[in-house]
Amino acid sequence: MFQLDSKSRKSIYEQVVDNIKEMILSKVLRADEKLPSVRDLSGTLTINPNTVQKAYKELERLGYVYSMTGLGTFVSKIEEGQIDEVLLLNGKQQMKNSIRELYYAGLRRDEIMDIIQEILDTRERGGAK
Amino acid sequence: MITVKNVSKSFEGFMALSDLEMNVKKGSIYGLVGTNGAGKTTVIKHIAGVYKENQGLIQIEGEPVYDNSFIKERIGYVPDDLYFFGSYSLKEMGRFYKGIYPNWSQERFDAMVARFGLNPNQKLTRFSKGMQKQATFILTMSTRPDYLILDEPIDGLDPIIRKLVWKYIVDDVAEREMTVLVSSHNLREMENICDAIGIISGGKMVIERDLDELRSDIHKVQLAFSDKEKAEGELESLNILHREHRGSVELLIIRNRKDEVEALMEKVKPVIFDMLPLTLEEIFIYELGGADDEIQGIIF
Repeated sequence: MFQLDSKSRKSIYEQVVDNIKEMILSKVLRADEKLPSVRDLSGTLTINPNTVQKAYKELERLGYVYSMTGLGTFVSKIEEGQIDEVLLLNGKQQMKNSIRELYYAGLRRDEIMDIIQEILDTRERGGAK
Repeated sequence: MITVKNVSKSFEGFMALSDLEMNVKKGSIYGLVGTNGAGKTTVIKHIAGVYKENQGLIQIEGEPVYDNSFIKERIGYVPDDLYFFGSYSLKEMGRFYKGIYPNWSQERFDAMVARFGLNPNQKLTRFSKGMQKQATFILTMSTRPDYLILDEPIDGLDPIIRKLVWKYIVDDVAEREMTVLVSSHNLREMENICDAIGIISGGKMVIERDLDELRSDIHKVQLAFSDKEKAEGELESLNILHREHRGSVELLIIRNRKDEVEALMEKVKPVIFDMLPLTLEEIFIYELGGADDEIQGIIF
């Protein structure tokens, strides 16, 4: 389903949550699709089933999945435009760091704005196909 | 549920364990780590019912372990120092286990022997060291234990076999809520598989925590300020465990929640701010390397 990075400083728990979140947001996993059982996922990745269980619970708390007793865990319908607070916060933080570096590099405000504009333009053109 | 309460043990005047406390939850994979000679094997031998404590209490599901065959037949113990009857083959040893352990599964034994690719008719003493360890693991897992106790089980096994061993373990934890207690020096592997960690030193428990909790409140932070004097005062509110200067960059090990640190940094506005969670290896060295700056200087 996905690979874990054993060299990452992120814990296995965080990696499982993030990977599944990404698969749901990128629609690799579709609404109402069943996630592998705790046993299957812990077996394939050779990780602690308690960690998988905890990750599934967190995903449920965040609204990405829902569980049905005895049947398993399923992908929730993610509404268009629904914004993930954590993702937003992390994105902002990363942008802040990048912008700071551009300032150090000696760029002015309007030059940085141009760069951002350019990135957005390229992205929207790419997404329109 | 394994409970170790105020346990002390001395060998000819040497205190191997002193007032040790330890709690392993049912269905958990608990990693026991510590420096050489910290007492890991001694605790494990108490929990497996090999040693009797001088003082304190060792219980599994509320019952004392020592001399308790009802509990002991539900424990699977793979010791660090293996011992085999001289002339027994793996197959004969299986038959011996079958007579002792009521939950013995012949089907599983046969399947595992084939999977690990061991010759069941060869004498165990003629196996290599790594193969003997695999043989013991197969025998132990075939008793379908409720409590699996492993003393440095993976050290000395090749990566393919290690993966296979862990796979059998996680399957049993998922399927039957087997409880696992494992000691090892391979901290990266422990970090990836355990959900709870106990760090012992000098026969005492230093830290016993849920692994994710342990890692979420201790961080390595790199900082640099344009106005150092001003920032200095603000930093005092942090719980700083270790601090060193590398040129104009400050390296701190702090025990605070991530959001607390971030909120403070929002205020002091460092020009460099980089925060990483500590790995288990770093926590281990920090906690047990003591105040030895030379050791810590190498690591962080």
